[in-house]
Amino acid sequence: MTRPLVLVVDDDPDILDAICDILDAEGYRVSRARHGQEALDQVESARPDIILLDLMMPVMDGVAFSQALRQRPLVSDIPIVVISADGNPQRAAAVGAAGYLAKPFDIDALLAQVAGITRAPGEPRPGA
Amino acid sequence: MDRTESPEVKPEVAARGAEGSDERAGHLGFVAHEIRNPLSTALWTAEMLARMTTQDRGGARGEKLSAMCLRSVTRVRQLVEDHFMCERLDAGGLPLRVEAVGAKEALDAVLERHPAETASSDVDPLLGVQVDRGLLERALEAMVAVAGAERTPVTIVAHATDGDVGFEVHGRRAEQAALADPTKGSPSDPSGRALAIPLARRIAAALGGGLTVQEGRWLLTVPRARAYTPRPAPAANP
Repeated sequence: MTRPLVLVVDDDPDILDAICDILDAEGYRVSRARHGQEALDQVESARPDIILLDLMMPVMDGVAFSQALRQRPLVSDIPIVVISADGNPQRAAAVGAAGYLAKPFDIDALLAQVAGITRAPGEPRPGA
Repeated sequence: MDRTESPEVKPEVAARGAEGSDERAGHLGFVAHEIRNPLSTALWTAEMLARMTTQDRGGARGEKLSAMCLRSVTRVRQLVEDHFMCERLDAGGLPLRVEAVGAKEALDAVLERHPAETASSDVDPLLGVQVDRGLLERALEAMVAVAGAERTPVTIVAHATDGDVGFEVHGRRAEQAALADPTKGSPSDPSGRALAIPLARRIAAALGGGLTVQEGRWLLTVPRARAYTPRPAPAANP
């Protein structure tokens, strides 16, 4: 069975490295983008099962990205989990996110969100 | 005035107060955002290391996570130091030691600490500024970090105008909008200098000068010293 693909979108290179390392160690496939435009450029060619999305980014921020994503029929249904340091969960609702994690969140909270969205009922975690 | 009586607040004063309050709220929100990112990576990498076996911790992944953790904590330290300096300057609670200082002397001290980012400087050794030297150096360091982001070479030129001395910082293009909106400045700076512009702006103001953008470069202005005599060079050993 193919392991779920997680796209992590954040302008902070250390955040990208850390989250990708955490997910990779759990058995997920990961791809990364430094802003919304870079993420849009890759979602159709390598459709992720879930997108972890920062909101405050240069070039194209998280809100603009989610609006652009919803306009693309092939990828408009990809669930988004907002990962933000702005401490305002209302903004996750504004982008129609399936989940919200306020940085710094717990690793287990991240894994639970990702597993809850990507796993079919009764299916074990990718690395289990 | 009766102590129970509320003083009348003129509409323009109230508007200025609200504007100042919005600016402060925006600044603090930005500070929190900038600190949470490296704090997150520091916590996650420390936790990942703690979950690893002793043997794995000594391997390539352990080394990578340790380096990330250290880098993140160092970044948090820089942000915290800059933030509290901004707060002390805002509160006016920082005692200044103002004296005549050689512009070149102060700049050379900064360049010595940042040889990688700084290509050159061009400053008259007889030019003096009337400042707190430690604060001027911090402001110059902050501007070197901003102008030298992504390994952009930095050149600093100082020139006298009327009663001031202006330090022109040439490097990465300066954006006017960054003066009022820190998110347009150096957000997510990997070295932790996201607060460099707000800090330099506050220091310049505290020293009686200012920070502006002119033709795509930063201009840090401070008062010129009326009389400045360069310190004699130390005598060479016989």
